[in-house]
Amino acid sequence: MHELSVLFEIVKQVELVAKKNEVEHIETLILQIGELSSMIPHYMKKLYPAAIEGTILADSRLEIEVIPANGLCKDCRQVFNLIKEKGTCPTCQSKSFELLSGKEFMIKEILCS
Amino acid sequence: MKDFKILEIKQNVFDDNNRQADELREQLKKEKTFLLNLMSSPGSGKTTTLTRTIQALKDEFRIGIMEADIDSDVDAKTIAETGVKVIQLHTGGMCHLDADMTKQGLEGLGTQEIDLAILENVGNLVCPAEFDTGAIKNAMILSVPEGDDKPLKYPLMFSIVDVLLINKIDVLEYFDFDLEACKERVKKLNPNVKIIAISARTGEGLEEWADWLRTTVKEWKEKED
Repeated sequence: MHELSVLFEIVKQVELVAKKNEVEHIETLILQIGELSSMIPHYMKKLYPAAIEGTILADSRLEIEVIPANGLCKDCRQVFNLIKEKGTCPTCQSKSFELLSGKEFMIKEILCS
Repeated sequence: MKDFKILEIKQNVFDDNNRQADELREQLKKEKTFLLNLMSSPGSGKTTTLTRTIQALKDEFRIGIMEADIDSDVDAKTIAETGVKVIQLHTGGMCHLDADMTKQGLEGLGTQEIDLAILENVGNLVCPAEFDTGAIKNAMILSVPEGDDKPLKYPLMFSIVDVLLINKIDVLEYFDFDLEACKERVKKLNPNVKIIAISARTGEGLEEWADWLRTTVKEWKEKED
């Protein structure tokens, strides 16, 4: 139930932001989740209704933007998806790369009124 | 259609907890209470190891233990028999402790009279790794029956700990556990980690562990003086 605890944390933070900005109603919450973060979007969505019950986020929708796990090959400078290519550069077969993205776990924005 | 506005937040989900954890560390510095966060999966021998650790160090430090469990106080009772101060924290279904709950636990323990506080985190290798509790150092126990492939399965946990205890080495011969391969996997994730092989049952390696903890606590206190 890892995702549920994390969702409670997210609700807490959004509530703070909402209060500060005098938000009355939140329609959509948009999260950014990297492919290499330990969060599974499927479970986040499934648990979302339970986590927002009785909070300012009640009845809101959850949108998740998945950020690809991209690496820059240190040998041939090719950018490739680490998961799809299993950490090996498809052009030169090098396993040495610099991580460009994929570990993000951000509250991006809310649609509100 | 209703008029909605977009409110940009752009905030890392763990920011709030990380801030609270940093505040707690500041507070611990002032109070000169060293907090160790002890993590592992269920059944790795956390409570037995802890009991042995208390016996080794209780004459040198005023020790306080926080037992975090989803429910029950079985572990707290075992620890209470060692004579040190112990409190039970119920996480109420949550799979980890965050900085705020840790702070409340420390208040319950009364840090003024404690030099060394140890938090026995919920038995779980995933969630506790994500949430900084505000501890000065993080320790983890991996036991032989769990397998030497755990660093491959739970990389985050192994990459955030300062010290790793490999427990139950007295049963090494009955399991396909490659100690060297395991150490290598951990070092690859976390080159600075201190790894100590122990058996909380026979006592093997516990002296080295107690030494590490003693030295680390003393160095931290001296640095703050």
